[in-house]
Amino acid sequence: MRQFLNIVWQSALLWVVFRCGAFLVAVLHLALPGNVAGMLLMFALLASGIVKPAWIEAGGGFLLKHFAFFFIPISVGLMSFGPLMRQSGLTLLAVLVLSAAVGVLVTGVSVQFLHGRSSR
Amino acid sequence: MRALLFACYLLVTVGAYLVTRRIFLRFKYPLLNPVFLSTLAIIALLEASGGSWEGYQPAKEAMTFLLGPATVALALPLYKNRSVLRNHALPVFAGVLAGSLATIACVLVAGRVAGLPRGVLISLGPKSVTVPIAVEISRLAGGEPTLTAAFVVATGMIGSILGPLLLSALKVRNPVARGLALGTVSHGQGTAVALMEGETAGAMGGVAMALAAVSTALVIPYYLPLFLP
Repeated sequence: MRQFLNIVWQSALLWVVFRCGAFLVAVLHLALPGNVAGMLLMFALLASGIVKPAWIEAGGGFLLKHFAFFFIPISVGLMSFGPLMRQSGLTLLAVLVLSAAVGVLVTGVSVQFLHGRSSR
Repeated sequence: MRALLFACYLLVTVGAYLVTRRIFLRFKYPLLNPVFLSTLAIIALLEASGGSWEGYQPAKEAMTFLLGPATVALALPLYKNRSVLRNHALPVFAGVLAGSLATIACVLVAGRVAGLPRGVLISLGPKSVTVPIAVEISRLAGGEPTLTAAFVVATGMIGSILGPLLLSALKVRNPVARGLALGTVSHGQGTAVALMEGETAGAMGGVAMALAAVSTALVIPYYLPLFLP
């Protein structure tokens, strides 16, 4: 029960920081979505010691454990592109698969190489 | 009736997630990705029962309400891994930027070779960036935002299934490299997979997602025209 309450109020705190991030983006016309700005803002709060990691540990841990869940309802939206998929779905799939593979390869291999060197 | 349908969609989605998550954690095989399996199951169910995306949307809005706070929570693993950022700033920045530029160039060149129309090519450009930014980039570049949103989701799915397989095949085992690669190409969905691999990989997924979004938004106005007919 205590754990549950912690998750609720800590999620509320994360939500407040998220809204602050969205507000900053709107006011300063940043090229960022509100949630990413909120993440950077929260990082600054943690780094400066204003927010203690323990204050968001339970709520943040819970939300991150189930981070994948949020992408299910969003992905269901793909069903509204049925006609386009039937017409040129295979071409698009091939193009997206190829470019995802190249991106993963470039970042993965270059970071592993550079990271290995800079750790020595 | 509407409330009943809403409750049904909520239950079905949460249920699908819980079941597919168990399957994934049991076998740890990327093709059993919970988002992929649940999405397939729900779309099949909606098609079979005569439901529509419009009907499902209220439930989607309710279920994604906490995505913003969850993204903010990524600051926590990021903070715990701040020494990685401090000590390896060059590999992190260079790796994400290189991956973003490579995946954009590749999708445009391949799309052009495949004969896709100009409007579709522009909409494909920001497909590796998190939805809210990708939509905005696409609109500014003269693309079709809804089409971009669909490409972003499809890329998220493809990268989160193919990414771990490819990284393992290439013997990329360093969690920093794996997290960055998944976040660069597949934004939040890749980060979700990275989080299931471990805390460091998850933190790097969040870093990559933010860096890729910002750098793509900054370079696209100059970079995109190079590849357009």
